Amino acid sequence: MTSVAFSIWLPLFVLFYVAVMLYWARVAATEGSGSDGFFSAGHALAPWISALVIAGCGMAGWFVLGGTRQIAEHGFQMPSLLIGGIAIALPGIVFFKRLWFVAERLRVSSQADIFRLYFHSPFLVVVSTIVAILFAVGFAGLQVRALSQLAEALTGGAVPQLLASVVFGFMLFAGAGIGGMRAIGYFGVIQTVLAFTAIAVLAGCVLFYSGGFAALNADLLKLAASPDTAPLFSVSGVIHFTSGLGRGGDPATANTALANLSLALALMGFQASPLALKLVLSTRSPNGIAAGQTWVAAGFFGALVAFAIALIGAAGLVDKGLVLDALFERLQNGSPWFAAWIFIGVLASVQLLAGLALFVAAEGLVRHLYRPYFNSRLSKRASVTLTRIAIAVLAVLAMLMQNLTPVTLSALAALALPFAFQLWTPLLGVAWVGWFTRPAVVTGVGFGIAGVILTEPLGYEILSFFGLELPWGRWPWTIHSALWGMAANMTATLIVSAITNRKALGAEAQEVRKLFLGPLASSTKARGLRATAWSVTLVWFFLAAGPGLVFGNYAFVATDGDTQTWLLGMPSMWAWALAGWVSGLGLIWFLGYRMEMASPVHVVIPPYREPLRLRKDESQSERQRVTILVITGIVGFVLAVLIAFSFGG
Amino acid sequence: MSKPAIPTTSERDLLVFAIWAVLGFAGLCFLLEGFSRDAYLVSLAGIAAIVAGFAAHIVINAIFATGFRPGEAALGIGTFGVIALAFIGGWATGGLSMSDYWSGLTLFAVLALGMPIYLSTRYGLRGAFSRFHIRPADSDTAP
Repeated sequence: MTSVAFSIWLPLFVLFYVAVMLYWARVAATEGSGSDGFFSAGHALAPWISALVIAGCGMAGWFVLGGTRQIAEHGFQMPSLLIGGIAIALPGIVFFKRLWFVAERLRVSSQADIFRLYFHSPFLVVVSTIVAILFAVGFAGLQVRALSQLAEALTGGAVPQLLASVVFGFMLFAGAGIGGMRAIGYFGVIQTVLAFTAIAVLAGCVLFYSGGFAALNADLLKLAASPDTAPLFSVSGVIHFTSGLGRGGDPATANTALANLSLALALMGFQASPLALKLVLSTRSPNGIAAGQTWVAAGFFGALVAFAIALIGAAGLVDKGLVLDALFERLQNGSPWFAAWIFIGVLASVQLLAGLALFVAAEGLVRHLYRPYFNSRLSKRASVTLTRIAIAVLAVLAMLMQNLTPVTLSALAALALPFAFQLWTPLLGVAWVGWFTRPAVVTGVGFGIAGVILTEPLGYEILSFFGLELPWGRWPWTIHSALWGMAANMTATLIVSAITNRKALGAEAQEVRKLFLGPLASSTKARGLRATAWSVTLVWFFLAAGPGLVFGNYAFVATDGDTQTWLLGMPSMWAWALAGWVSGLGLIWFLGYRMEMASPVHVVIPPYREPLRLRKDESQSERQRVTILVITGIVGFVLAVLIAFSFGG
Repeated sequence: MSKPAIPTTSERDLLVFAIWAVLGFAGLCFLLEGFSRDAYLVSLAGIAAIVAGFAAHIVINAIFATGFRPGEAALGIGTFGVIALAFIGGWATGGLSMSDYWSGLTLFAVLALGMPIYLSTRYGLRGAFSRFHIRPADSDTAP
C-alpha cells in the first residue's frame, strides 16, 4: 500500500466525524426553541444521556494524553491516578442530586446561577466563570495542542500543527455554537462511546505489541529488580518537606503519599466545576445520577483507567517505542485505519470537554456577568447571539495560545482543576452545610484561590515579574496546589462561619434549606449509617489515596533473598490501586444508594416564586459599573507597570 | 422549567449512531486489517463486529418499536453495493489473495443470509415471504 493510501484514513475519518457532528448540531438546532433550549437543552436531556456524557467528559482525554505519559515516565509512583474513576465520581455522588433539586426549586440551570441566588455573591459568579474559562482555554487547549502535534506526526507533516489546531477550533465552534447545550449532550453520547472504545482498543494494541499481559509484567519485573528503576514501583514515603519543584525539590522523590492524596483531591475538582453541573442541570430527571456515577463513571470509566490507561502507560515504561506518540506512529505505519479510529476517539474525548467548557465559559461571560451586571435589557435572542460570538472568540484565543504561548497555556491549564476544587466549600454550603455563611465561603474561596496560585508556576512567575521571589516552588512539601488551596479555603470558611451570623440567609437560601429538611431529608435508616459512612470514607481515602499507599509498596511482593516476585503477577502498587478501585466502587455504591446521597427520588418540586417587586431602571448603575471597571483596569495596569519597573527583574 | 420529553427518535438515533461508531468502525478496521495481512480470522472478526452491529441495531429498533428508517436502508444497501463492486473489481483484476477472496465471500454470504433472518424475526416466516410475494388479488385492486 502506498504512503498516500496510508495517510488518507485519518482525514477520511475526521471528515466523517465532522459530518456526524454537524448532523447532530443541526438536529439540536431544529429541536431547540428559544434561549432556554440553547442554554440548557430545555432541561430535557435524558438521564442516560447525561450519565454517559458526564463520564465521557470526566477527563478521558486527559487520562489518555497525560495519564499514560505520567505512568510511562514515573511508573507506579502515583497510584492515585489509577483510582481516578472513583475520585471523579465521588463529587457527583455528594453534590449532583441535591444541586439538581436546588436548581429545580429555583428554576435555574447553572452553577453561577445557584451561587448568585443562594449566596447573592458576584464574586462566586466570577470565580465560577473563571474556572470555566480556565478549562476552555487552558486545560482543554493544552490537550488540543497535544492532539494537533499528534495529527502532524500521523500525517507525516502534511497537516501542520497550526492547521490542525485551526480545524479543531472550528469544529469546536461548530459543535457548541450552532446547537448549544442540546448538541453537546447529543453528540457527547457518540463522543463518549468513541472515546471509551479508543482507550480499550489502544490497550488491546499495546498488549498485542508487548506480547501479552504476562510478557509485559515480566519486563516490568526486570525494571523493578534494577536498583536504578526500582523506585518507579513504589510511593516514596508519606511526605517530604522540600521547598517544591523548581526550588530544590527533587522530582524523583516528589511522588509521596501526600502528593497522591492531593492529586486525587485535584481530580475531585472536575465534578465540582461548572462544566459537570451544566450537564446535570440540563437533565430532565435526577434519577440517573446514582447509576451514572456508580456504574458508568466509577465502574466502567474507573475500570478503563485502572486497567487500560495503566496498561498503555506501563508499556511505555518498559519500551519507549510504546509511549503514546511512538505508539500512534507505529500503528499508523502498520494499520492506519486503526490509528485513525483511535485518534478519532481521543479527539472526541478532548473535543467533548473542550466544547462543553467553551460553551459554559461563554455562557458565564454573557449570561452571568455581562447581562445581569452591565446590560440587563439584553434580550434572550441577543444573549444567544452574543454567546455564540463569545464561543468563537474563546476558541480563537485558545487556538492562538496553543500555537504562540504554550508555556502560559500550560500554566493556566494547571490552575483549572485546583481552582475548581476550591468550589467545594460553596457547594457544600448549598447542599449540605447550611451554616456556611456567605462571607465565609466568599473569604474561603478567595483564600483558596490565593493558596493555589501561590503554589503553582503562574503565581510565582507573576510575583517574580513584580520583583518578589517566593521561597518555595511548585507544590511545596510534595503537596499539590489543590490541597494547599483547600487548607486555606476550609480554615477561612470555618473561622468566618464561626464569627458571622449563621441565620442571615436570603429568601432563596431559606427555601433551599426548607427543601432539604422536608421532601429531601434523609431517611432514618440513612441517618443511622452516617457514622459508618464517615468511617468507611476516611479509611478508603487513607488506604487508597493517602498515607496508607505506602503499604502498597510491599503488600503483594514476596522476597526470597535477592529475588523478588509479584504475588499477583503485576506490580504490587498496581494491584493495590486495583484493590482501591474495587473498594472505591463499593464506597460509591454505598454512599449513592444506601446513604441516599444520589438515589432516585420521586417528588415534585414546585418552582420558587420570587416576591413581586417593581423593576428598577438599572441603566444608570450599569453605566457606573462599566466606568468603575474601566478605571479599575487602567489603575491596575498602571500600578502593575510601575511595580514591575521599580522592582521587577 | 418545563420538562418536555425528549423526542424518542433522537434517543433511538443516538443509540444507533453510537453502536455503529463502535461496531461499524471496528468491523471496517478488522476487515481492512484482514485484507491487508491476508488473515482470514482477522477478517472474520470484522464480519462478526458488523453482524453484532446489525443485531444491536435490530434490538434498538425493537425497543423503540420501529424498523429501519428509509435513509438507513438506503445507506446500508448503497454500502453493500459499493463493497460488492470493489470486491468484483478486485477479483476481476486479480488483486485478491485466497484469504481476501474467502473473506469477501463470507461477508456477502453473512449479509445475504442476514436479510431473510431479519425479516423472519420481524415479520415471522410467513410474513417475511409476504413482504416479497404480491398476490394477484392485491395487484387487481391496485389503482
